[in-house]
Amino acid sequence: MIIKTVKCPKCKTHLKINGNPGETILLSCPKCYARGKYTFPGEKAEIKSISADNAIEVRNLTKMFNGFKALDNVTFNVKKGEILGFVGPNGAGKTTTIKLLTNLLTPTSGHAYINEIDVNKTPTKALISVGSLIEVPGVYDYLTPHEMLTYFGKIHKLDKNEINQKIKEVLKVVKLSEWEYKKIGSFSTGMQKRLAIAKSILHNPKILIIDEPVIGLDPKGMKDIRNMIKQFKTEGITVFLSSHLLREVRDTCDRVIFLDDGKIVTQGSIDEIMNRITIDTIEVEFLNQLSEDDIKKIKSISEINNLETENGIFKIKFDGKPETSYKILKKLTKQGLKVISYSTQKADLEDFYVSIMKDERGVV
Amino acid sequence: MNLLNYIPALDDFKNMYLSVRFELLKHLRRKRVIITLALAILIPLIFLTVPPALGQDYADTANDFVASNLAFISLLIILSGAIFTGDAISGEFEKKTGLLLFPTPQRKSSIFMGKYVAAVISTWLIVSIYYLVTILEISSIYGASGITIELAQSFLLALLYSTSVVSIVFFFSSIMKKAITSTLIGFFLLMMILPIITTVFTVAEVDPWFIVTHDGDLITNVLGAGNGGGFGPGHGFNLTTFEPELWSGIGVMSAYTIILFLIGIVFANRRRME
Repeated sequence: MIIKTVKCPKCKTHLKINGNPGETILLSCPKCYARGKYTFPGEKAEIKSISADNAIEVRNLTKMFNGFKALDNVTFNVKKGEILGFVGPNGAGKTTTIKLLTNLLTPTSGHAYINEIDVNKTPTKALISVGSLIEVPGVYDYLTPHEMLTYFGKIHKLDKNEINQKIKEVLKVVKLSEWEYKKIGSFSTGMQKRLAIAKSILHNPKILIIDEPVIGLDPKGMKDIRNMIKQFKTEGITVFLSSHLLREVRDTCDRVIFLDDGKIVTQGSIDEIMNRITIDTIEVEFLNQLSEDDIKKIKSISEINNLETENGIFKIKFDGKPETSYKILKKLTKQGLKVISYSTQKADLEDFYVSIMKDERGVV
Repeated sequence: MNLLNYIPALDDFKNMYLSVRFELLKHLRRKRVIITLALAILIPLIFLTVPPALGQDYADTANDFVASNLAFISLLIILSGAIFTGDAISGEFEKKTGLLLFPTPQRKSSIFMGKYVAAVISTWLIVSIYYLVTILEISSIYGASGITIELAQSFLLALLYSTSVVSIVFFFSSIMKKAITSTLIGFFLLMMILPIITTVFTVAEVDPWFIVTHDGDLITNVLGAGNGGGFGPGHGFNLTTFEPELWSGIGVMSAYTIILFLIGIVFANRRRME
């Protein structure tokens, strides 16, 4: 959706209008009632501005489901070789975005490009270099991993020897080597998920679009997948990682986009985001139990934003600057309080997430 | 609408071929082929073994024998068509296997056409085995002279009827959410609903030439012999006063095949994994 301000040629009144690229709308000036037409800049102009540096480019993507706006005019890009975290609570629009990027859904308006190709117009070309893992896909439980992966290898035009070799490789990566010829029906959910991951990397994709990859995995499996994603980075693979597990995003991604209610709330590199977190905590323990007066004295320290107590530990919120931390410690000791432990706790992505989202739905 | 998007390329045919092979493998692994094959062999064997066991003679002519042997062919065609086609499309959406299958560099129509062709091949295989066993029985009872041109015509009509049955179930599979629903609706429509409608038309003295199950009677009618009753279209009811015409029957079966296949493909292509 494009929003424009146009001027009435007759009375010069400014009108705010919106429409899709290439769309022509009829206008009527509310002041002088002059009528006219306006055509929004077309697709050609837009396509020209798509950057070859971007593996994924999303422009003004909107998706409506029976009047409900699941995705609202979302625009972002993923640079080649970058790992982008797509974060948001359940129902934020993450999976909808992924389904639009893989042509499982058609956008109501806007475009999704992969390697400069419109996914929804020419999916067969756009998806050649893409590996995808979406939700928890079903598996053909009456087949073996070898049979299933052989089919997908052929779809990606690998030859027979290559397929057999790659199957062994990817099953080793996801730790399913011993299960190559066993019926998938006997697999646990975690194993099925790992098999789906194996399918997504079978053809050496240049772009990986993965949706909640560690859900359903045990802690060891989660760690393996995180390491695998980091490994992709070293191999120059672009990864679009949708997740609501913030630790996973912080540990693996270069950049993060926060999505809520179908809209991008904010985005930036992990470092930028972490630098934006200005409220940190100092955890302090005292030798003796503090009196009401002592607590009042602490609260009166101007550098302290907030004070909380939990199991005898005092949590002091402050601006995060080292010099402020030093000033607070100095003032505490000056007041005769016997500090036995004083440590600064850096705020995490979770704190940032909670601070920018409307509520704390589905954050782990 | 870009018409170029609808012109198939060589790759589309290759992907369709891969889809056919993958579907056949799935049918085989799910033992569907084996179960229906067993029926295709066992049912004609009953007609070979039961009469002598009851001390009865076989029919006087080979065509009469075949007609009674084929009493169950419609049931087997409908059963095979429903089993092989019912979950072709709806299954991918219901079981979410489409999340693996669709985001691949191939047209969805190649995948669906491959599924359709695999269902047709599987159903044809079952029909062919049924006829093969019947032919072996005829040869052993009546000699090679028992294999008539009418039998070949019956076989070809059975293949055409099978294809129309697959198209009908394929259509339901493209619109239904659950595989079991499309399978059962397809099965009961062909086994019960259409034959009942045929009877209603017949009682009303309206020629039901346009009902595909009525035209399926050509499979036995073409043999020019009275059949031995049984199940399936045209069987079990003695009210039939209208016999399907050969060429109009072929036309109707072909029309069902083509029209429902095309509608099925269009609906399947429009379906999205929401």
